[in-house]
Amino acid sequence: MHADDVKAIVREAYGGIVSSTEAIAHKLYSSQELSRVPRSAIDGALGVGNHLRFARIEVGETILDLGSGAGIDSILAAHRTGPTGRVVALDFLPEMLERTAAAAAEANLDNVETLEAEMEAILLPDSSVDHIISNGVINLSPRKRRVLAECARVLRPGGKLSVADLTVDDEELPPEILTHPATWAG
Amino acid sequence: MAGALTERDFVEKLGKAGFEEIELHQREPVSVDDLALYPLFTDEIIELMRSLLPPDRLQAVATSVIVTAKRRTGDLAP
Repeated sequence: MHADDVKAIVREAYGGIVSSTEAIAHKLYSSQELSRVPRSAIDGALGVGNHLRFARIEVGETILDLGSGAGIDSILAAHRTGPTGRVVALDFLPEMLERTAAAAAEANLDNVETLEAEMEAILLPDSSVDHIISNGVINLSPRKRRVLAECARVLRPGGKLSVADLTVDDEELPPEILTHPATWAG
Repeated sequence: MAGALTERDFVEKLGKAGFEEIELHQREPVSVDDLALYPLFTDEIIELMRSLLPPDRLQAVATSVIVTAKRRTGDLAP
């Protein structure tokens, strides 16, 4: 499938989500974590793991949330980096960034900023980020090598990457499944 | 999910991009029932999976992994 076709499928699928995904949030995050997150971000959880449990976030870090979605991980990371740090929530869908910004405001966090961009072309200077977090989005990119190169570029030397994502086995799924648009978006 | 890499390829690409100290912290099988929680997976594709995949594969269509790494301190150029 052509890269532009994949992006169009992902854009349409994510932009069209209207139902709550609260069940995903409760599966991945503790009640203590969720108590710090506004309902709108919980309702929009689409991650595939809780990478923040393994992310050594330090106070004052500049964190990039690659593919922030509705903002649940941005909110949790913003609490941990504190007022001397900041979280840049990057997504290519303006409607997702609006949800993240609204959730940050509701949580009284002023250290979350949004950035509309594609993860293959991160609009940040070289070595400007201490820590990149990402949850379930790198697998969606048709240009993963480019995404990872961009992550390395914007991270400072020694900067951290904490990722939850989907991998597959060597044994391929049947072509009827692999070629279905829903499996390119999910 | 259709574009997901194998764990081996993912780790290899991280290394080539300039990451080191790559650690895999968690591997969780993702079942078709898990995928059904995501609105991105339509009823149609979930039913297609249930009809085409053998029972053992229904319990592990993909794997959720958690990986941490550090950006190499030296030059990024290979």
